[in-house]
Amino acid sequence: MEKEFTLPPKPKNSTFKLIRNIVITVLVIALYVWTFTSIDIDWGRAIERAANNFQRVIPQLFSPDWSATGKVALSMLETVFIAFAGSLMAAILAVPLAFLAARNMMGGVIISTIGKWILSAVRAFPDIILAILFVVAVGPNAFAGVLAIAIGSTGMLGKMFAEILEGIDMNVVEAMEASGANKIQILFHGVLPQITPEFLSYAIYRFEVDIRASSILGIVGAGGIGTLIIFASNNRNWSEMGTILLAIILVVTVIDFASARIRRKIV
Amino acid sequence: MIQFKDVDLVYPNGTVGLKNVNLTINDGEFVVVVGLSGAGKSTLIRSINRLVTPTSGELLVDNEDILKYRGSDLRKLRTKTGMIFQNYNLVKRSSVIKNVLAGRLGHTGTLRSIFNAYKKEDVGLAYESLKRVNIAEKIYNRADELSGGQQQRVSIARVLTQQPKYILADEPVASLDPPTSHQVMTYLRKINKEDNLTTIVNLHFIDMAMEYADRIIGMRAGEVVFDGPVSEVTEKTFEEIYGRSIREDDLRGGADQS
Repeated sequence: MEKEFTLPPKPKNSTFKLIRNIVITVLVIALYVWTFTSIDIDWGRAIERAANNFQRVIPQLFSPDWSATGKVALSMLETVFIAFAGSLMAAILAVPLAFLAARNMMGGVIISTIGKWILSAVRAFPDIILAILFVVAVGPNAFAGVLAIAIGSTGMLGKMFAEILEGIDMNVVEAMEASGANKIQILFHGVLPQITPEFLSYAIYRFEVDIRASSILGIVGAGGIGTLIIFASNNRNWSEMGTILLAIILVVTVIDFASARIRRKIV
Repeated sequence: MIQFKDVDLVYPNGTVGLKNVNLTINDGEFVVVVGLSGAGKSTLIRSINRLVTPTSGELLVDNEDILKYRGSDLRKLRTKTGMIFQNYNLVKRSSVIKNVLAGRLGHTGTLRSIFNAYKKEDVGLAYESLKRVNIAEKIYNRADELSGGQQQRVSIARVLTQQPKYILADEPVASLDPPTSHQVMTYLRKINKEDNLTTIVNLHFIDMAMEYADRIIGMRAGEVVFDGPVSEVTEKTFEEIYGRSIREDDLRGGADQS
């Protein structure tokens, strides 16, 4: 037999909260309507164009140009190399910045705030803007892409690494201090074993993201498969575009899969 | 020998940690410090290896005032005072042997330690220490694969490997169940007797203090309110230290199971 019971009455939402929620909802809807009406979309024309081009472009995308395979594969390989070199460079650059930014490492809120500012400043640049800057600085080649990826990833990795550092078990550090170990010994025996797997995991994840990022860097001339994308699009060569997309999908999927497996192993 | 002379400690936020503490702890003694939480037991123990620094008075370890120590003096002091913590404080992802060898860091050069190139006799000493607390078979396990009691034994092995002159144990059994608590206390007691290591243990369990201590120091609100051999201690003494009557949860129990 079920037992009868009564829950204590729920606390009543105050009228203030109710009004606040209504106001927020109305504001969000208003903002949405306002933005949509003000970007001035010519729906009729957009739909017409899409209908026309659909017939021409989509079937060609699905019949890839196999003769371009060699060219596309090479260029995809270059993209992977750009991503790898860039994320490796970022993973190395991010470590000292993370130690600077982590509140429990260098001691002092001032240093950590400066470190956090540096990381936010670095993060503020989108990859594509960095690529444009580096194309101007070092010329239109893969090296510009590597630098763009490296700087772009340093900001995010540095922030992640700093958060990992702030989350370590400081009791271990205290125990080593209490046994007379010096700072460098504590770093190598108390801090590094706690952070290495997470650092690697995030670096690999970032490599995964960088593959996608470096696919488009070629559009501004920074090397990799993006160069082919821009050529194919300018020449209306949609079947070559199909091959390129296929290559990107394949490589991204394989690397996502591999990265997920590796990361599960190390953490 | 450890001597406290008129030691006071006031934390930056104004909390009084220690108030006019005068104590002499002789070599080879097994001292248990009792008191309610917040009575200053931890502060007392942590002053001895300067994890906290008293604000006035003198604290002599082997006839040297340690309150002025900085840098390498401080590290030298800490190599001779081994510490055991409530939460074991092992590197969870490292192997047992690596954790035990960490006790040797204070005696090892920086470059050597970076490359994990511990001296051969240090590795032998670490293995010997693990054997003494009966956990040598777990040598290559990761620390987080062990139970709480086993981890605390590893941390005792770490302290043994450090070859200190003093052992400071800050609530070493507070996270353990009664039988394991007695096991850990028995090891501490055994080491104290065999190696003649001065041992200072913080406890808040009355029955365990009575069972293992040579001498009991009672603290309340940062002051030493009792100091005497265990033979002079009665339930009345504890009531005076705690400032209230004794309750069920002041006892660990389970002495017969150990």
